[in-house]
Parts: sequence; structure tokens; C-alpha cells
Amino acid sequence: MRKWISATCVLAALALAAAPALAAGTVGETAPAFQLKGIDGKTYSLADYKGKVVVLEWVNPNCPFSDRHAREKTMSDLARKHGEIVWLGINSTNASHANYLQPAEHQAWAKKNGVSYAILYDETGKVGKAYDAKTTPHMFIIDKDGKIAYNGAIDDDPPGRKAKAERANYVAQGLGAEKAGKNPDPAATKPYGCSIKY
Amino acid sequence: MSTSRAALLALSLTALLAPPPARGAASEWAENEQSRVRLVTEYATAPRNGPIRLGLHFTLSPGWHVYWKNSGDAGFPPVITFSSTGGALQKAELFWPAPRRFELPGGLVAFGYEGEAVYPIQAKLQVPEGAGAVETVTSDLERAGGGESVEITAEVDYLVCEVDCIPYRYTLALTQPVGEEAVADPETSRLLDSWWARLPKPAGEIPGVQTGALVHAGNPEKLELEVRVRGARAKKGETDLFLETHEALETGKPQVRVTADEVVFRVPLRAKQAGKELPAKTVFAWTVTGLSREGELVSLEARREVEVSRKPGGGEPSAGAAPAGETGAAYRARLFRLLLLALLGGLLLNLMPTVLPLLLGELVVLRGDPGGRPAVREGAAAVATGILGSCMAMAALAEAARRAGLPAGWGAQLQEPLLAALILVAAVVLTLNLWGLLDTPLPSTDPADPAERRGSVRHLLAGLFTTPLALGWTLPLLREPVGFAVEKGPAVTLTVLAALGLGLSLPYLVLLLAPAVVRVLPAPGRWSRVLREGMGFLAGASTFWLLYALSHHVSPEGIAWVELALLVMALLAWLRHRTVPRNAVRFGLAVALVACAAAALWLADDNRLTPRTSRTADNQRNILTGG
Repeated sequence: MRKWISATCVLAALALAAAPALAAGTVGETAPAFQLKGIDGKTYSLADYKGKVVVLEWVNPNCPFSDRHAREKTMSDLARKHGEIVWLGINSTNASHANYLQPAEHQAWAKKNGVSYAILYDETGKVGKAYDAKTTPHMFIIDKDGKIAYNGAIDDDPPGRKAKAERANYVAQGLGAEKAGKNPDPAATKPYGCSIKY
Repeated sequence: MSTSRAALLALSLTALLAPPPARGAASEWAENEQSRVRLVTEYATAPRNGPIRLGLHFTLSPGWHVYWKNSGDAGFPPVITFSSTGGALQKAELFWPAPRRFELPGGLVAFGYEGEAVYPIQAKLQVPEGAGAVETVTSDLERAGGGESVEITAEVDYLVCEVDCIPYRYTLALTQPVGEEAVADPETSRLLDSWWARLPKPAGEIPGVQTGALVHAGNPEKLELEVRVRGARAKKGETDLFLETHEALETGKPQVRVTADEVVFRVPLRAKQAGKELPAKTVFAWTVTGLSREGELVSLEARREVEVSRKPGGGEPSAGAAPAGETGAAYRARLFRLLLLALLGGLLLNLMPTVLPLLLGELVVLRGDPGGRPAVREGAAAVATGILGSCMAMAALAEAARRAGLPAGWGAQLQEPLLAALILVAAVVLTLNLWGLLDTPLPSTDPADPAERRGSVRHLLAGLFTTPLALGWTLPLLREPVGFAVEKGPAVTLTVLAALGLGLSLPYLVLLLAPAVVRVLPAPGRWSRVLREGMGFLAGASTFWLLYALSHHVSPEGIAWVELALLVMALLAWLRHRTVPRNAVRFGLAVALVACAAAALWLADDNRLTPRTSRTADNQRNILTGG
């Protein structure tokens, strides 16, 4: 009986220790730290961008939604417009999935679409799970204090029916709010797109 | 035509090949590798004015699915816009048949349809009288097909997914003949009938079936939505719950419990934004599928303002009972029984190894008081007041813990390392006191010391100390009353702990009424000093139990450090006892002793195994697998 009780306690403790890595992505909470290798071979760490606003974009070139936004330059134009922020793409595609791209292919895709920001590999899906990222594209804004300020879709137009200028781009709105020292509104939307190939 | 639009069209090449308008009740199929889609109406000849049923008809390759109104973690539901020439198709409304759940890699989930799906559409058709009023397009068609007609065009965007997802856009067009007399199309009207039957029924429209929901927010770390359906049969594995997207809450995977005529779903919730207070009521829309009623398969849907309950009802609900299920009489009977249990439990706590020495000590002191009966009365009243007062304080603490989302209930005190360590330190102080190494404000059985004999304050303090010392003993008897109290809120908590306090102070209350009873004890003397020292061993032994209880929540290193701190406490007490009464030294040692006690608390807290906001492993698992 007593062994039982202690075993339960140890299990509960273990579950709790594992928990922070799994349930997250909540607006207002500290953004989980990570260190990942980019498609350019360099190592990127979230800690390097302390004090800066960081945008995370879950990306998968083989997903029609990521690809459409790349061709439309939704992300790259926005990143260029806000020179003061850091834009990081994260590809959480499992290395065994058909959608997985080798660095050379990934770079070719980025070059073709004029994507100049860093794209990081997360083939274990650990970082994706830490943020509870669900789709490509799934967007996060991390504020200067390292807290998640926005979690959700890039815009209000999943099928891409509207002209680019007519869409409500939530990340553009959020970055504007951050610049003005305000909180993004909306701070959370429903992300759309392909499921991440964990 | 924007660049984005052009881009998407280029993406799905087939979309450019919009099929030509077909005459009759269905458009041509638009086909791709994964799916095909067409627009259907129920009529071969539609009435000129009036309601018309249409459908967006999909057939899907094996493994591929299209989406429900809440697509789940990824994807999006079909978007359709109508235009018409030769008449007006108005107020088109798309409906959502009962969906099913698709599990995707990484614990992601999608809601939608596979195989074949028809999204029913209800609209109103208005075609102006007379061929002369219609446009040239219609006249062309009239020439081609004869009779009046209206061209209905639907622009459709949809996403079809397996694990991969492909978006498509098509323009589906059909030429609907209209006339004075409506003629149904046998094939399409049958198809639409069968899919109309798969629409979830509004909960109020199914006789004998009720549904309701409640958000459990008593523990902010374990938010849960409870949805119940009564009056319908269901099988586990067949019935399922689907929620529409909630603006502020993420919903996890529902857990289902099925009884004879009730289905209970419990859905873990998570705030999308940290630190945002939930309102008292929030709107949820739910669909429950796979129910059977009188042999017929039904789904129901409801959209309600759902109450957010702050009471800690996060555990398993009692079978068959609604959340607020107990009726007046049954509730009163239960409360009365639990109050009696609390009283009895309180009385029994007096026999616990850390409480008994206090009780006996007090009795001996009162027996030896030369003030006689009035003094006994006064002393007993002071102790009883102290006990009841500290019980009230405990009630406040339990309520505060509950509000802070910490575990509250009988036994919870030993799960919180800081509290358990405090009880432990109190037991050690009592032991040292009984052995005469310390002179804390605990009662002494040494009647020779005049300071011990007088002063209600000392008695009051003894009473105040009794409750924390009693807390170290998790009598199973008290688990139900205290658990019930915490669940029912502050008023009941106060009542139950008052009953417990009454039980604990019952010996003193007896003395208060009949002070003469104390005379059954012999006058204090050598025997009482021996008793006191013996009791020290009893209290000392209880520290073993408390250390054991603490060891569940503190790491082995932490336990070793705490033990060391306690030993140093004893050493300091002994040194202090041994030193000649030089005030400066004694004071210094006393300060060191207090510091040591504080260190023991800090060490326990610092080496805790579980973070303070204790969540259960079960709850974590739910939230994670859902999404």
C-alpha cells in the first residue's frame, strides 16, 4: 500500500516534469526556449534574441498553404517591413515523412520564393509540441519580454479568396500593436492550413 | 482577380477547367485525384417562388476527408458563394451533417467526412414571371432546352486532406428549369433526404431527450467542460462529442462515460490566453452523435450559455446525478451525518500521539490549579476557545487553498511540503518541551513553576497549538466530511470544521460544565513529571510518521537535510537548557533555534518533488492528447 502511494507520487512528479514541454503556446506565458539547426547549417537559439520581438512561423514547403503564402510573399514582405523584429521559420516535419526536405531542396525553395529569413529544422517535433503548433502556417509573436503575445493564423482568409490587401493579417496587426507598446488584438485565433507532419 | 486568387487557381490546375452548366438537378462533377464534387438541387423542375433544397455533393477517395464547420486542429470547412442569372437564389444556408473524428499524427485531430458527403443547403428561389423579363442568357438556354430556367452558379473552395492537404476551387453551375408545377428529381431528392436525415437535431426537438453542460473552473489548472445527454441510449466508441470553436478556450479530447440512459462527456479545456478571467457564463455549441432513441440513430446539437462553476467539482461526477443533483432532504441528512462524523473524528484526534500529551498536560495543570473550580472553568474555556479559533483559521486556510487551486481536503495538509514540515517542527518543539529542554508557551505539567499555573493566555495558546498538532494525523474518518465541506464552499467548510473543533475540545467543554470531573485525577506530583517525560517519547515517535509523510513530497536529500535541521534544533535546545542562565547566550541560542526551524521549512519547500500548483497526471494526459 505504502509503496503504491509513493509510486503514484513519483509518477505524478514525472508527469509534471514532462508537462511543460508538452502543453504550452498559451498567450501570456513564457515562450519555450529552443536551439535548432537552420537549413543553412547554422545553429539558432531563441535566447539570442532576448529583448527583440520574434515571429515564429511553422512552415512546410510541401504544404499548399505554406507554399501559397511564400509565393504571395505574405511572410517575407511582412518580415522586411518590420526590420526591427526577428522572423524565424520552423519546419517540424518528421524526417521520415514524404514532405521532409533536405537542406539543399529547402534552400532552393526559399530562394525561388525570396524567403530570406532563417528556417529551422525541428524534425523531432519537440519545439512544435512545446508551442502546441498545429498547422502550417501556424504563427506566434513573442514579445520583448519573451512572452507569447499572439498565437494563431496568419490572416482571416484560409482559402485565399480575398486580395492580399483586403485580408486582415493578424500578425501584421500584432506587430503594429507591439510597436505601439500594446497587446495584439486578437491575441489568439484559430490557425488554418495543413496539419504539421509530426 | 487578385494575384493570390490567380496563384491559387494556378495551384489547382483542374480548377481552371470549370465544367459547363448542366441542365437539370445536378451540375457536372468537378474531379481531381482525391475527390469529386458537384452541386445538386431537389427539383427536375423547381417552383417559381419558394424554398429550394440544394446540396454540395462530394465523393472522396479512400483515406481522404473534407471538413465539418469546426475543422479540428487543421484545415478549413468548404466555403461556397452563390450567384444566379435569370432569377434570384437567396438566403442560401449551408448545414453540417454529423461528423466523425480523424486522428492525425502528433496527436492532432480533424472533424469531417470521408467516403461520401452531402452538405445540405437551404435557399429561396425567386424567378420573375414571364420570359420577357429575364436576361438574354436565359433566352439562350430556353432556346436550347425549352421552358423557363435559372442558372445557379456556386463558387466553392474546399480543402481535402489525408495527412497531406490539397485546396481546390471550382465553379459549379447548373441550369435549373422552373415552372408553375414543381417536379422532384427522384435521384437527387432521395440523396438530399438521406443527408438531411443526418443533420443533428436541435436538442429541444427530440422528445424525451435532454442535454446540458457545465464548465468546472474550481481548479484553474483543471478546467473541464461537462456535457450530459439524458434520455437516449449510446454505446461507448460509437457516440462522440464535437464542439464548435470557442473564442477563449482550447478544447481537448472528450472522455465519455455511458450509463443506462445517460451519456457524460468530460472535455479538458485550456485558456488560449493566460491570466484571463473566465466570465460567469460562456457560450458553447456542441453536437453529440451516435445516440439511439427508439431504435433510431440520432445526433443532437445545442448552443447554450453555459455556467462556469467555481466549485471544485473537477472529479468524477456521481453516477446519474446532475452536478447539483442532491435534493433538500437528502442533502440535509448527509450534512447531518457528516457533521456527526466530524465531531467524532475531532474527539478521536485527542488520542493522537501529538495531541494526547497536550490534553493530559492541560488536565494536570488544571487539576493542580489552586484557584479551584472557577480557575478550572476559566482554563478549560480558554483551551476550548483556542481550539475552536484555530479550527476557524484552518477553515479559512482550506478555502484559500481551494481558491488558489491548491489541493484542499483532509490529508492535503501533508501533501504540501511546507505545511507538513511546519507540523513536523511543531511536533519536535512539543517533544523538546515535554522533555523539559524548552519552555515554549506549551503547557508544562510541572506545577512547581508558578508561571505555569496561572494565565488564561497560556491555556489559549495551548488550544491554538492543538489544532496544528492534530493536523498531522490523517484520520480516514475525517476524509469524507472535510472533502464534502471543501466541495460545497466556505459556509459548509466553516460548519464542518466547527464540528471538528467541538469534538477536539469536547474534554474541555465537559470540564467547563462540570469542573469537578478533574478531581478524578490524583494531585500532580512525581507521577505527572514521569508521565510528561514519557509523553515526550510518544510525541517524538510521531515525528517518524510525519517524516514518512513528508518523504512522499520531498526528495531523499531534502529529507536528510530536514532531519539534520531538526537534530540541530534539539542540540540547540539542549545547549540552551544546559547553559547557566546568561540571558545573552540563551537569547542567541533561541534565535539560532528559530532560524533552524525556519531552515527546516525552507529545506522541505526547496526540495519538493512536485510544483506547488499540484496537477494530477491524469489531467495532463487528457489535455495533451486532445487538441
